[in-house]
Amino acid sequence: MVLSSLAPLLAAANGLPYRIPIHPNLVHLTLGLFILAIAFDIVAALYPLETPIFKFLAIPVQSSNLYDVGWFNLVAAAIITFFTVAAGFYEIILAEPPMDMVSPWGLGAMDTMIWHGVGGVVLLGLIVGMTIWRGFQRYVWREDRARQVQWSYLLAGLGIFVLMFAHGTLGAHLAADFGVHITADRLLREGLTPNAQLLNILIKH
Amino acid sequence: MLENLLPPLNSHNLPYPDTIHPIVVHFVIAMVLFAIVCDAIGFFNKNPRLLEVGWWNIFAATTWIFVAVIFGQIEAGLATPYPAVVSDLNLHTLIGWSLSAILAVITGWRYIIRLRTKDSLPVAYMGFNSFLLVIVLFQVYLGDKLVWVYGLHTEAVVEATRGGLL
Repeated sequence: MVLSSLAPLLAAANGLPYRIPIHPNLVHLTLGLFILAIAFDIVAALYPLETPIFKFLAIPVQSSNLYDVGWFNLVAAAIITFFTVAAGFYEIILAEPPMDMVSPWGLGAMDTMIWHGVGGVVLLGLIVGMTIWRGFQRYVWREDRARQVQWSYLLAGLGIFVLMFAHGTLGAHLAADFGVHITADRLLREGLTPNAQLLNILIKH
Repeated sequence: MLENLLPPLNSHNLPYPDTIHPIVVHFVIAMVLFAIVCDAIGFFNKNPRLLEVGWWNIFAATTWIFVAVIFGQIEAGLATPYPAVVSDLNLHTLIGWSLSAILAVITGWRYIIRLRTKDSLPVAYMGFNSFLLVIVLFQVYLGDKLVWVYGLHTEAVVEATRGGLL
């Protein structure tokens, strides 16, 4: 194999200055923390209905602790998501998707990237807004109430889940259909086979 | 016989639109890492409230990891790995199943600690947390490689495999 002809690929086999994209890893934290924050607030708000279940499981529970999970997980999600969006924009700028195909939703690569970029900023705003709303409920408006969150807050959270699902699917299209920043997909499009030797060379440089 | 009961496989070699395992692992990864962070802050600052947050997070992670392993196994089975992928996929599978046991053990241990000494954690538990952190990060790295380097279940790789190129 003539290595010199691979020089452009050796520089960045996935189109990034590092081996593994960062954005998809931060996404784990944004989604995991936000969804579980809302889920724990729902469990806490419905606590009176669940007492027999926790009793059966022999798990001692105080609903104030469940609300703590709802609050601290949400704060962590809000902080992390700034980095998730920042990394996302950096990696979207460096994306080189094929322009001659459409996603399962009938969108081209450019449309998918624009919607995913806009959606990311919108979701960041919503997560931060929810955190501020949650903070007011926790420390000001409902400080003395047994139920720390409003039903409308939980409903808003469920609505954001739907938005996240659509948004995440657009992100999945960028990876699994357009092959953005995926080493093997980019090699195949260059007419190369990602066999073990070639991948090892590309990864180690 | 069984394959006739499934919908036909799509361009990702799946009987449903997109991979599910990478979605379910959001919960496991985020909950384990956040549990370890809360435990560490709660341990050093002697904050029982954060220790409770740590407990609920590790409890949630343990319930979700079984779902993650089941979908991981299904999607690994449909992945048609080419030679370069096999060893990493096998290692990811082995660690994934092991992690379900490791998480179950640590959550059981934590359950007992919580019943006995609710407001503090033994040093040994913090040690186990560090061990868990290393394994989880390595497992995430392997999973990242399967998607972002090898492109399993991506259209280009599935197409190349079906065309006999891989």
